[in-house]
Amino acid sequence: MGTMTGDFGRAARRRVPALVLCLAAGCSGGGGNGSGGLAHGLSPAALLGEKIFSDTALSVSGRQSCASCHVAQFAFVADPTAAGPDRGAPVPLGGPGMDLPGFRNTPSLTYLSYAPDFYFDADGNPNGGFFRDGRAASLAEQAALPFVTAFEMANTDAAAVVGRLRGRPYLQDFVSLYGAAVLDDPDTALRRIGAALAAFESESAVFRPFSSKFDGWRNGQAQLSAQELRGLALFNDPAKGNCAACHPSNSADGVTPPLFTDFSYDNLGVPRNAAIPANDDARAPAYTPTDSADGVHAYYDLGICGPFRADGGLNTAGICGQFKVPSLRNVALTAPYFHNGRFATLQEAIGFYVRRDTNPEQWYPVAADGSVTKFDDLPAAYGGQFVVKAGVVGSDAGYLGNVNTGEIPYDRHIGDQPALTPAEIDDVVAFLCTLTDGYDPANPSALRLPAQCQAAGAVSGPFAN
Amino acid sequence: MNSLASKPAALSLLAAALLSAGAAAAADPVHTDAATAQKLEQQIEQMAQQLEAMKAELQQLKAQNEALAAQQRQQAAQVQQQAVQAQQQAAQVEQAVAQVQAQPQRGGISPDLSLWGYGEIYYTHPVHVPALTQADLARAVFGIGYRFDDRTVFNSEFEVEHAVSSASDKGEFEVEQFYVDHQLASWAAVRGGLFLMPFGLLNEHHEPTSYFGVQRNFVETLVIPSTWREGGFAFHGDTEAGIGWDFGLTTGVNLANWDPNPENPLYRTALDLENSGAAPLQATHQELSLANAQHLSQYVSLSYKGIPGLLAGAAVFTGNAATPTSPPHLPDQRVTLWEAHARWTPGAADLSAVYARGGITNSAAYNLANAGGSNPMPSKFWGYYLQGAYTVWRHHGYRLAPFVRWERYDMGAGYAGIAPGFGPVPMGLAADGQPWPQPHDRVWTYGTNFYLNPHVVVKADYQSFQTNSDFTRFDFGLGLNF
Repeated sequence: MGTMTGDFGRAARRRVPALVLCLAAGCSGGGGNGSGGLAHGLSPAALLGEKIFSDTALSVSGRQSCASCHVAQFAFVADPTAAGPDRGAPVPLGGPGMDLPGFRNTPSLTYLSYAPDFYFDADGNPNGGFFRDGRAASLAEQAALPFVTAFEMANTDAAAVVGRLRGRPYLQDFVSLYGAAVLDDPDTALRRIGAALAAFESESAVFRPFSSKFDGWRNGQAQLSAQELRGLALFNDPAKGNCAACHPSNSADGVTPPLFTDFSYDNLGVPRNAAIPANDDARAPAYTPTDSADGVHAYYDLGICGPFRADGGLNTAGICGQFKVPSLRNVALTAPYFHNGRFATLQEAIGFYVRRDTNPEQWYPVAADGSVTKFDDLPAAYGGQFVVKAGVVGSDAGYLGNVNTGEIPYDRHIGDQPALTPAEIDDVVAFLCTLTDGYDPANPSALRLPAQCQAAGAVSGPFAN
Repeated sequence: MNSLASKPAALSLLAAALLSAGAAAAADPVHTDAATAQKLEQQIEQMAQQLEAMKAELQQLKAQNEALAAQQRQQAAQVQQQAVQAQQQAAQVEQAVAQVQAQPQRGGISPDLSLWGYGEIYYTHPVHVPALTQADLARAVFGIGYRFDDRTVFNSEFEVEHAVSSASDKGEFEVEQFYVDHQLASWAAVRGGLFLMPFGLLNEHHEPTSYFGVQRNFVETLVIPSTWREGGFAFHGDTEAGIGWDFGLTTGVNLANWDPNPENPLYRTALDLENSGAAPLQATHQELSLANAQHLSQYVSLSYKGIPGLLAGAAVFTGNAATPTSPPHLPDQRVTLWEAHARWTPGAADLSAVYARGGITNSAAYNLANAGGSNPMPSKFWGYYLQGAYTVWRHHGYRLAPFVRWERYDMGAGYAGIAPGFGPVPMGLAADGQPWPQPHDRVWTYGTNFYLNPHVVVKADYQSFQTNSDFTRFDFGLGLNF
């Protein structure tokens, strides 16, 4: 059992064999349902994880659980329509009083279990891992950390979490699975909580339904409209959107349906989002880390090289500012977009991709003299704060920083044509809307797509308001 | 012999004298009477008969003499042949003794074991893009064969491509052939293992000394893959009339190996093109490396070698391929390739031609699932070339043979399932700012092979590409074969 925590990142890829083994062995470890076996297709650990997932009593506030920010109806991101002070905000509130803002936009949990554990590939590039900076090597490790994060569930340490666990109705399930002794070892007990959550996220079909219109089309059960097919082609075309370069639309292993991520990391130079309190130097929360002395900002979110990753060994300058490439499945439901939630719609997000370099004035701060500070959320040392002149051809030449300026569609310069026209952007949005789970080929109109799909002209079905 | 030879001349003189005397007597009317005349006639008649008899005897003697001379010549030749054989035997004995003496004390190489090898080094200089000039030890190949008995042999070839084969290098170490061949009769044999496919002029004879040009031609690289081998078994043989035949059941193509959407062009130079595995069968043939053998393919090949200096042949290969598993539920896909080839070597000339054409069925669903991809799966591909070479100089084993070749290839002559408004090749620029290369071209190649001896060749050529003009290049190469 001691190796369970570390192994759970790989559990997803071993799901079927693990279940077969569990069935064969009868899973005699015992479960809360008393049967000692699988119930609803879930292992006892996953059943326990399901209970923990939505239990707010494990937070200091008593009002926050995993499900608070990861709402099933919205592909396990925050409900943008939910009442509260953080409604529509790029980062959720948490902490003992539910008034502490976080630092990053909530990532979707769907299909997350397919991510490999964090590793560097042969070329030294980061891959896989969990959180937007990959700092949790495995899903289990990731799942345990919000319990002890000050601006989330806010327990001071693992012992505090275990103290709350002792009073929960599913304690017996926990003890049956992991033994009573583990309660006296809070760090291990917290890892077991993470393992149970990872089991739930890995085993439950709600996290990986593969039930989108796109899936139905791949299976020969649905037809894409002409616009959606055009959008897919633009998405794939390496001379147009080239989205598939990082968000592959084809199966990686020939078996698992396309996941629309290659689990790599990239630095897009996403503009700084002033709506995140930590980004406001004057009013940043006290717990905001400071990682810059460049005189521009005291805090930058540098993704894989800080400030939330503790492993200083990763602070190789070339990758600073990179964030994990997310899956695009259900992306129509997961607004706002990017790690800092800078863009509210897919149309804006894709527009940023294709016009970031041709029209930087549309995305970055513009000074009175017409100069534009590109990549304003990155220190100059890493290629940020790159000043160009709006509309002046050649003023953006010679860029050598960390931001990816070599790949299509963001390989352009001022004066070039964007890789996609506005109409083509709509086509891509229409295609992305087909990645929304819940499509029933027998009753296509039952799926209610978000309003931004309607705005793009998508015709998959009726639209939600 | 001299006395015999002079005898007819003497008889002729005697006869002439008698005839002259008779004629003179007969001419005197005073002394002539009928009896005398009759006597003289009888004498002449007798002498004529004697002369005929002597002529016949002389003919017989001449015939006997010629037969005797022929017999003597034959005997002399036999003696000479025996002497040569004796010398050869002596040399063999000497060689055997030398071999035995050269062998280490333990083990030893069997006379049934054979070793051979070939290899080639290229220098290729794209004239319009000199930055992409490359030099490469393209391949080093070593062969091992073993003769188990008079009817059964084993042959194998092991190849290192691009000099270094490791996880972080582009080179490969591969088994190119590995088969057993068993002679069933003088006209038939059976073969099993990994063997070369009998297609075109080059595939089975791919040593650098066997073809013109620094690199192998495009038709027999991009349409017929090179070096194309499959695992399976085959029956083959040659008839007395000069007809070669070969048919077999082999592994086939795995279309799951196809990459529908590489982000960047798979090749930027002609050398890249040959090495990239971008061509339809290059990308999908399996080389018996954990090959998907769900479906087997069949081939048949016929050739004619009955007229000295002429070779003509044709072959066809077909079989269901292993289909991609993504998207699911793709229909069965059949891959077919056929070709016809001819080579004529009258005197110092060497003329050859190859036409090859292939197809992949039911590719529409796959291409549609990968709409907009940069590398859709073609439904048709073809190519041909015409080549002429002439040995202009030959001296002390050196041989200089310039050549010219015209070829056309189209790796994507037809596609199904391309999204409306999109083409099989991306219409925009690639990330390097250059247009995407086209999968078809027309190529002139001018060059020469210079043989130091039949086993070592130095080559140079210039290739002019009409469509992908940046591929135009100058090549220099060294090849050997032993």
